[in-house]
Amino acid sequence: MRKTILGLLGAAGLLLGLASPALAFEPVNVVHTEKVQAGPYDLTVGFSTWPVRAMQSLDFTFAPADGITSKTGTLTLVRGTKLVDDSPLARHPRKREVWGLDVFALPEPGTWTFKFAIDGPAGPATGELKDLQVMDQLGPPMGLSWAISTIPLFGLIALIVIAWRRTRTVV
Amino acid sequence: MDITAAAAPVRVGAPRGLVPASVVLGGTLLSLIGLTWDIQWHSDVGPDTFFTMPHLFLYAGSAVSGLASLAVVLMTTANEKRDKAVDPIVGGRAVGVFGRTFAAPVGYLISGIGAALFLIYGLWDQWWHGLYGFDAVIDSPPHIGLLLSVSITMVGAVMVFAVAREQSWGTYGVAGTAAVLLVFSMVTVLGLRALPGGIVNTVSVGSAFFSVMILFMGAHLLKRRGAALTVAVIVAVLQAVFWWFSPWATEVYADATGLPLRDYTDGIPALPNMIPMCLIVVAIAAELLHRLPAWIPGAVGGLIITACSPLQRMLTYGVPFPHLDRYLATVVAGVIFGAAAGMLGRRFGQMLRHLAPAREGRHA
Repeated sequence: MRKTILGLLGAAGLLLGLASPALAFEPVNVVHTEKVQAGPYDLTVGFSTWPVRAMQSLDFTFAPADGITSKTGTLTLVRGTKLVDDSPLARHPRKREVWGLDVFALPEPGTWTFKFAIDGPAGPATGELKDLQVMDQLGPPMGLSWAISTIPLFGLIALIVIAWRRTRTVV
Repeated sequence: MDITAAAAPVRVGAPRGLVPASVVLGGTLLSLIGLTWDIQWHSDVGPDTFFTMPHLFLYAGSAVSGLASLAVVLMTTANEKRDKAVDPIVGGRAVGVFGRTFAAPVGYLISGIGAALFLIYGLWDQWWHGLYGFDAVIDSPPHIGLLLSVSITMVGAVMVFAVAREQSWGTYGVAGTAAVLLVFSMVTVLGLRALPGGIVNTVSVGSAFFSVMILFMGAHLLKRRGAALTVAVIVAVLQAVFWWFSPWATEVYADATGLPLRDYTDGIPALPNMIPMCLIVVAIAAELLHRLPAWIPGAVGGLIITACSPLQRMLTYGVPFPHLDRYLATVVAGVIFGAAAGMLGRRFGQMLRHLAPAREGRHA
């Protein structure tokens, strides 16, 4: 019994030991940039994957020419004319010197607009990255993906139907 | 010297069936801890790899439940091959798998199938991330497949304890496993966002449906006063513990790995906030209305949960009240689905009662 407990503790320790120090998160690797002029602020929008595809997650960076110190702002994501997201510009968790979105996916293909509202020492200003083309998603159609992923649900329903029929007469 | 042997061997230690059942329950709890931690991690910190600590809890949960289930199936098979008596209190009546190759107690068969499916959907998820990247989308198709697989293990855990419902450990085990399944289901229902619900909030309605169904299932399985309330109290305890644990563990783990918290992190525990805070009120209503047809307290439960859901979000996130037409449509759908959940939960409870070994003079 003692050996079993020691073995289990050893295995748990090994698992936890592997998990904590060996974590290696991908650095932010910008492969494409676009320029946005928001009043007095020159903004560089960086993409870790190019071209952008629907549902494919990537790192976006938003870097003012003179840094983000003393500046705040909001980012509004618009697909066509539909507002999809509206949030404050936050530092990228793995590239803290710029704003960004980490492992973020645009859900739908089409023409997107990123609207920036920035407030800083030179006053408030707005700017837009227009006509960002997001291509169709890779992989199987979503209907097929959902069909594969809900097999356990249909299995469970089948089990319930069998159990229902077998217990119907004695309830 | 004369030695008089006892007429029957005296059994010492844990009651038969308790140990493997507890291991399966422990596995499901590990999965639940991993899930609440992982959701909070993505919300407050962000980056993902295959080997994060919350992921290891998720994998370990299914591994523990799956290995315990496999061990019981192999031991039952060995006993049957040796013509030794198989006690159905351990997971229920044994059924043949692959012909008569294996004899699997039905509860452990289901929990084991859930764990095996988790492995398969883990591969599907890995392929998905390879194609689309390590996004933190909880309701992607493979994630829903993984959540459904764990839910099947949790259903198996309910069955394992339902077999022993006439013993105190079985009674408490049913309440505990039902509570774990209910809490876990609050995340699985996020998959309903993929359905076109029009002005109805499909996730609120789904939460109401599964909450009422599982609560009623537990109550009708145990068939005793206070059963629904006991399940709801255990859910509330899990909610309270995770409310503290999820942000705390996330911050500690972020510190340990040298990662910062995101800017504008609200610190609100994500998974615990998906659990209806009004569930105890629903359980009290179910207890008070237990003499009425199940669809009536079920509809009341659906009404309470969908009516209170936006209030909970206003209280925790400070979001505005939804448009009145959306709110009313969701409440109406909640009442309808709550009524159906009440009837289904009652029937499922009765079905689970049949798992207990038959006794002379007893029919169910």
